[in-house]
Amino acid sequence: MLSKKVILTGNFGVGKTSLFNRFVYNRFSDKYLTTIGVKVNKKVTEVDGEEVSFLLWDIAGEVSQDKVPVSYFLGAAGIIYVFDLSRPLTFEHIDRDIEHLRQLLPNSVLKIVGNKKDLLQEGEVENILQELSQKCDITTSAKTGESVEELFQELGAELLKRV
Amino acid sequence: MGSDAQKQNDEMMLSIIRDILLREDRDDIADIKELLDDPDKLSERIAPVIEFHIETLKRKFPKEYRKEVDKIVERKLKASQDELLDVVYPVMGKMVRKYVSHQFVSLKESLDDRLRNFFSTQRLVNRFKSMVFGVNEGDLLLSEMDSTSIEEVFLIERDSGVLLGHYSRNTTMDRDVVAGMLTAIKAFVEDAFSKERQDLEMIEYGTYKIYIQSFHLYYAAVILNGSVTATEKDRIAARLLDFAEGEMKGFSYNAEETDTNKLSSKLAEYFKHEGI
Repeated sequence: MLSKKVILTGNFGVGKTSLFNRFVYNRFSDKYLTTIGVKVNKKVTEVDGEEVSFLLWDIAGEVSQDKVPVSYFLGAAGIIYVFDLSRPLTFEHIDRDIEHLRQLLPNSVLKIVGNKKDLLQEGEVENILQELSQKCDITTSAKTGESVEELFQELGAELLKRV
Repeated sequence: MGSDAQKQNDEMMLSIIRDILLREDRDDIADIKELLDDPDKLSERIAPVIEFHIETLKRKFPKEYRKEVDKIVERKLKASQDELLDVVYPVMGKMVRKYVSHQFVSLKESLDDRLRNFFSTQRLVNRFKSMVFGVNEGDLLLSEMDSTSIEEVFLIERDSGVLLGHYSRNTTMDRDVVAGMLTAIKAFVEDAFSKERQDLEMIEYGTYKIYIQSFHLYYAAVILNGSVTATEKDRIAARLLDFAEGEMKGFSYNAEETDTNKLSSKLAEYFKHEGI
């Protein structure tokens, strides 16, 4: 079984933990997030007929700030960069963040995710994505669960391709 | 004379009028007096009224006076912390005493067992050790009883926290998640407190200890139960080095190529019979 570390990162309040909780059965308290700034959980899912074990690291805080230990990012085969579609402030520094992540983890699969699409109309989402300086890979709603499974399926498929 | 007779007549008339006017009130007062003088009758009349008010108070009290009572209790608790501790300490003291005496009973039973086997091989070895090295035989007995046991061994990829192998005497919670969280904690501590490159070596909680030995691409976390002396730590470290030398030579992490089952059974081989 393929076992890979995947990190969830992005600005404060974009819904990383909600995506995390939506995808995995959350048996551990979120207090870890506030104490050491990270919470780890696992989900085994079938991707293209093969089992993939995602070791998910939900990292609290911002991407390129010094407060988050760099070691939390190391060894990640996949990165899920999350921003909030309804709050432009959360993708204001997307170029800087993505650049930082690519430098830190040049060989990792990176997925840019626009979350909270349930708060916007379809047209509004399209406008935001057109104006975004980076290509958004998928838009999700952790609240309704829309496209969450699909996100991990896509990520898993790309990880499998690299084996 | 005439005026005296007139005066007397007036008073009599007044008395008659007073009697007529106040008769009812006087009767009532007499009844009330009789009621007040007789406790049984009084209680019979007043009890239902008091009962009604008590019931009303009971019903309304939590809503009407809760905040006030909370404030009073809070004030009282703050003001009487010392008194509270006085109350709690004896209870805690009894519990501690009970625990300690239980431990002494266990220790005594264990000592009895050892003494019963007075002529056992181990006993003779201890006596020999005692004579040769000058170590108190009692100390040797105690150190034998206070043994440390290896509960679990995790072999974890250093950066990703992915589990490479695992050995456990008992079934445990999700090992992958434990490996991930251990890696996160390790990373956090090393990042927060290390000025130079240093590794976290030991985490302690209660009677359990997590001994961590870091290698270049991976690290081992050994969960121990009991007290760990420097010698025991050295033995575990040596065993881990043996394992690294024997089984992990030329290891380059590749999740899809690492045979976690094979590494797990190898760990079991190395640590299953490891009595520290």
